[in-house]
Amino acid sequence: MKRNWRASTPLALGAVAIVLLVLPLSVKSAFVLDIFIRILLFAFIGTAWNLMGGYAKQLSLGHVAYFGLGAYTSTILQIDFDISPWIGMLAGGVVAALASLPIGWLCFRLRGPYFTIATIATAQVLMLIFLKFRDFAWGAEGTTIPNLGNAPLMMQFDAKSAYYYVALGLLVIGLAITWLVERSFIGYYLVAIGENEDAAEAIGVDAPRMKRDIYMISAFLTALAGTFYIQYIYFIDPATAFNFSISIEAALVSIVGGIGTLWGPVIGTVLLETTSALLQSWLGSRIGGIQLTVYSLILMAVILWRPTGIMGFLREMRLRPWRARPAQA
Amino acid sequence: MLETLAQAVINGLLIGGIYALVSIGVTLIFGVVKIVNFAQGEFVMIGMYLSFFLATQFGIDPVVSLVVTMPVLFVVGVLIQHFLIRRVLGQNDMPQIFLTFALSLLLVNLSLMLFTANYRTVHTWYSDEALHIGGLYIPLAKLFAFALAMVLSAALWIFLHTTDLGKAMRAAAQNRDVAMLMGINPNRVFCVALGVALALAGAAGSLLMPFYPAYPLVGQVFVLMAFVAVVLGTLGNVPGALVASLMMGVAESLGIQFIGADSGLIVVFLMLLLTLALRPSGLAGGRAR
Repeated sequence: MKRNWRASTPLALGAVAIVLLVLPLSVKSAFVLDIFIRILLFAFIGTAWNLMGGYAKQLSLGHVAYFGLGAYTSTILQIDFDISPWIGMLAGGVVAALASLPIGWLCFRLRGPYFTIATIATAQVLMLIFLKFRDFAWGAEGTTIPNLGNAPLMMQFDAKSAYYYVALGLLVIGLAITWLVERSFIGYYLVAIGENEDAAEAIGVDAPRMKRDIYMISAFLTALAGTFYIQYIYFIDPATAFNFSISIEAALVSIVGGIGTLWGPVIGTVLLETTSALLQSWLGSRIGGIQLTVYSLILMAVILWRPTGIMGFLREMRLRPWRARPAQA
Repeated sequence: MLETLAQAVINGLLIGGIYALVSIGVTLIFGVVKIVNFAQGEFVMIGMYLSFFLATQFGIDPVVSLVVTMPVLFVVGVLIQHFLIRRVLGQNDMPQIFLTFALSLLLVNLSLMLFTANYRTVHTWYSDEALHIGGLYIPLAKLFAFALAMVLSAALWIFLHTTDLGKAMRAAAQNRDVAMLMGINPNRVFCVALGVALALAGAAGSLLMPFYPAYPLVGQVFVLMAFVAVVLGTLGNVPGALVASLMMGVAESLGIQFIGADSGLIVVFLMLLLTLALRPSGLAGGRAR
C-alpha cells in the first residue's frame, strides 16, 4: 500500500500550524518562550542561508554582514529619524540586498573554500567599520533601544508571545519563498550550479546572474532577522550585530538539518537550539565554550556519517521498506 | 621619519616569519591534499599551550620546547589526515570545508573550557632584551623566532626538493592522478603533508610564546594572515607563501605605525579583499582554485 504523501501533506501542515499558533498561549515560562523564539529566529536565518548556501552550494560564513546591516539600518532610522522599525526592517533588507552586490562581485570571483574565507573577511570588515566610526553608529559602546512600553507600531510589545508571532511570521515567509524557489526553474538552476557550476554554464545557465540574484534574496531575508533580533533584545553594538557565531549558526542549522532542503534548517535549529537549551539548564550558562563544543561535535558527526543531514536520514528511512521489497512486475 | 619607517619594516619582517610558518603549512596542505585547513591557527594555539605548560611545569625554554611540540603536532597531523580528512576526500565542497571548520570550532571551544579565556605568558631571560643597531631596536625573542622560522622554511624547501618523499609530495601537488600512476601512495603522502604542516604550526606556537600571550582564540589572527598570504602568494606555492607572509607582516606593521594601533586587522582584511578584487589568482599567477 503506497500512502498518498501529496494528499496528507496539507493536513500535516495544517496540524503543525495550529500547534504553532496556540503554543505560546499554553506556555507560561518566559525561559521556554525565549527558546521557542530563538528556534523560530534561527530557523529563519538558516532558511535564508539555505537558499544560497544549500541550493546553490555557495557556502557563506559571512551572513552576519546582512544581519548586522539590517539591525543597524532599522536602529539608526528609529533613533535618529523616528521611523518605525517595521519600515526600518524593509529598509534594512534593501540596504543588505544592495550591499550584497559589491560583496558578491568580490566573493564570487572565488570558488569553494576561498569563497567561504572571502565572505568571513567581508563580514569582519563591516564589523570593524561599525566599531571604528562612532559618529554614525555609536561605536563599540553601542546603544539601547528606547523602551516605549507596548507600541506594536514601533515593534515593541509587552507580551513576549507577540515576538513569537513575529518570528513565526518571518519563518513562514522564508519557507514560502524557499518553497516557491524550489518548485520554479530557479531552484533547478541553483541546484545545477551547486552540483557543477561549469557544467551548468555549459548547458546555458547564467550562473553569475543566478548567484547574484539568490544572494540578494538571501541577504534581504537575513537583514529582516537582524532588525527583529535587535528589537527583541533592546540593545545594539557591533559585537552583537556582527557576531561571527550568527554566521556559523546559519550554516550549521542548515547542514545538520539537511543542506538544500525546505525543512532542513528548521529541523537543524530545533535539534541544535534544544540541545543548547538543555545544556544551559543542566550546566548553567557560565561554562564558556560548551555550546559551540557540542555544536562542532554534532557538525563533525553529520559530516562524517551523513552529509545529507537529518533530512537525508529521514528520507532513507522512508525509502528503506520500498527498497527491501523485491521488484514486482 | 625614515627611522620610524625602517623600524616598522623590521617589526613587520620579524613577525612575518611566524606568519610564514603558518602560511607554508596552509599552502602545503592545499597543494598536496587540496583541502583548506581552517583549523591551522588552532594548531598554533596548541603549540603555544604545549610550550606554556612545558615552560611552567618543567622550566623548559619555549624555543627549546620546539623539539617536543613539532613531533607531537606531526603525529596529530597524521592522525587527523588518517581518521578525519581521508573520509571526506573526493566528496563535494561542503564536507571538505566544514570538517576542518568544525575541528577549528571544537579546538577553540575545548581550550576555552579547559584553559579559560585568560592570557598565558612565559617570561624568558631574553623576553625583554633587544639589540640596538643604529637607532633601530630589534627584540631578541622576535629575532630568534624569525631566524628559526627561516631555518625551518629552508629545511622544508630542501626536504621537498631532495628527498624521495618530498619529491613525491611535490609530484602529488602538481598532478595527483599521474603521481598515483607512478606508484605514489596517496594516503601516505597526505599524512606526511598534514604532519609537516602541523609541525610547522606547532613550531610557530613555540617560537611565539616568549613574546606573545596564549589564549583560545589566538590562532585566528594567524590563520587569517595565512589565508591572505596564501591567496597572495598563489595557492599551493611554498616560496610564494613565504614571500607573501613577510609582505603581510610589513603591511600590518606599517598600518599599525601610520594609521593606528588597532588598524592591523583592517589592513589585513582590506589586503585580502584587494587581492581578491585585483589578482584572485595570486601574484605568481595560476588559477584560483
